[in-house]
Amino acid sequence: MQYEVEIGGKVRQVVVTRTGGAFAVSVDGRTRQVDAVRVDANTLSLLVDSLLPAEHGPAGQRDARANRVYEVSSAPGLGAGELQVHVGSAPVAVTLNGRRRWGQKQDGRGAGSGPQRVIAPMPGKIVRVLVNAGDRVSPRQSVVVVEAMKMENELRASREGTIAEIHVRQGMSVDAGTLLLVIQ
Amino acid sequence: MLIANRGEIAVRVARACRELGLSPVAVYSECDRAALHVRYADEAYPIGPSAPRESYLRIDRLIEAAKKSGADAVHPGYGFLAENEAFAQAVGDAGLTFIGPSPAAIRTMGSKTAARAAAIRAGAPVVPGTEEALTDTDIAEVATSIGYPLLVKAVAGGGGKGMRTVADASDLANAVRAARSEAGAAFGDASVYLERRLTRPRHIEVQLLADAHGTVIPFVERECSIQRRHQKVVEETPSLVVSPSLRAAMTSAAAAIAKAVGYTNAGTIEFLVDEDGRFYFLEMNTRLQVEHPITELVTGLDLVRWQIRIARGERLDIDPARALVPNGHAIECRIYAEDPDNGFLPSPGRILQLRAPAGPGIRDDSGTAAGLDVPIFYDPMISKLAAWAEDRPLAIARMRRALGEYLIAGIKTTLPFFTWLLAQPEFLDGRFHTTYLDEVLQARNGVPFADAGADVEEIAAIGAALQAMLSPSTSSAAANGSAANGSAPGAQTWRARARVEGLRGA
Repeated sequence: MQYEVEIGGKVRQVVVTRTGGAFAVSVDGRTRQVDAVRVDANTLSLLVDSLLPAEHGPAGQRDARANRVYEVSSAPGLGAGELQVHVGSAPVAVTLNGRRRWGQKQDGRGAGSGPQRVIAPMPGKIVRVLVNAGDRVSPRQSVVVVEAMKMENELRASREGTIAEIHVRQGMSVDAGTLLLVIQ
Repeated sequence: MLIANRGEIAVRVARACRELGLSPVAVYSECDRAALHVRYADEAYPIGPSAPRESYLRIDRLIEAAKKSGADAVHPGYGFLAENEAFAQAVGDAGLTFIGPSPAAIRTMGSKTAARAAAIRAGAPVVPGTEEALTDTDIAEVATSIGYPLLVKAVAGGGGKGMRTVADASDLANAVRAARSEAGAAFGDASVYLERRLTRPRHIEVQLLADAHGTVIPFVERECSIQRRHQKVVEETPSLVVSPSLRAAMTSAAAAIAKAVGYTNAGTIEFLVDEDGRFYFLEMNTRLQVEHPITELVTGLDLVRWQIRIARGERLDIDPARALVPNGHAIECRIYAEDPDNGFLPSPGRILQLRAPAGPGIRDDSGTAAGLDVPIFYDPMISKLAAWAEDRPLAIARMRRALGEYLIAGIKTTLPFFTWLLAQPEFLDGRFHTTYLDEVLQARNGVPFADAGADVEEIAAIGAALQAMLSPSTSSAAANGSAANGSAPGAQTWRARARVEGLRGA
């Protein structure tokens, strides 16, 4: 199975192949052997091969390698395809786009990074929209100011893109989860 | 015991009740029905809509709940009505015992100017400043005698509100106007007083217990200088800059102030300590403090239990040396549902996973759990994480280990910020003061705390892909954005388990 996984603005091609009871997982062409078991609904325990590509010794024997332990939990994020992943306790924002079964896209999403959905984290009022449709924005650029809990809060683009949709204007009240902007 | 509070402190008080054989009674606002403090109690009563002024600040509803439950006593926790003399009075008037000081002591020490006057009477050094609220005509003259830089502060104030820094005489009039306006809006009292502003001071406080028989026991100090916009984020005990002789002087002064006002029960005297090691009385908190666990860890004493025992009329039979000489070192981090990469904006929402650290020397005081929402109406605290060890370096190492174990998913938290902070050289060396944190945060200029690094990102990609492959129902729900809250974990677990069995069978 092939996935496009976007983290921190960078899209990685991830291919997962079952190998007996475990998996060969290649990330942008670099393959590791991974043993994965589920520990609860959201969490996998992984034993991941070292950094070198998988090798077979003479006569098809596999070298014994030290297996690095990782615990990866994931939960749905607010936007489509978005996941909040934790590697151990470290949070990583991940967007999983377009499951492909050997080249066939299943959900019709475009290739490349998915859209950034800027969403109101809590109820509030739009103080200022700082951009116009069509503007290019850079990572961490402020795009909208929301007043909530007696403070003004700037919401930012997490990576670069173009303002595709603006769903709010100054003075509007918004609920938590309201879609404010979409950045392509 | 009716616990007139919520969240972690309500759970804390309820635990002390259980250990004493007292039945804890909880109160809850609309959004708190399923909160941990309610589920932990023996009885629970609704007290109104979620906004604090319609529930946890409603004296009438709290008294009514106490009467309905047949409680004998009311513990106010911290925040809300804990330092409200009208509440303490109402509890007494209803024939119930208030777990805290008298209404008169709350009134005296609750007024910043009256508290300063009491400290001066007790012979304690105070920050150079005025004792009374000032009229605009007096202010310029008094300011000159105090010296610049100085602070204009609200008499009825707290939490940094109604406060303005004044660098020199030309800024004074504007600062006074602004402070009065803010104080009037926040506290309903526009009175202000002046205080010298110390450069790079440390905020060091002394815990006290006082019984109704005249005994006052001061405790080893707490170092609380790591603050973001006047809010404490990390506390530790003992302080690196407090020698035994300074400790003796500060704790004696604290005890003298408490005695001078006839204080009873738990309280804390806050001092500022300047770069030359001189200490000055700042204010008194007439309640239990958030950071009380670190004191409990280095003394082995249970402060909430003592609050209840004192309220019952018991005598303090603590060996003073036990309270003053710390065993080891303890640090506390306040874990908040805030996004440190977005100005520490509160991050309300559902906690999808929560796994708190454990093991030697770790104490986590939590008021929430996985599956619960962090409400928008209150302080977004997840827990207070404390680490104890034989010395400060070991306590720091232990805290870092604990932060690495703490998994909280579904909301943003300050965990990545603490991981960073506890690696900073100034923190490790103990070279900090009350504006240190604001300064280094500004210097970071928005660089994210939650940057995981390439290796971790690669593992996240592997994990996300495997998760999608092993539970297609979860990933397609994610891809459709329909699992924003409440995908059915039960069904997934069942399917997931079936798949694991399938894998194992291969």
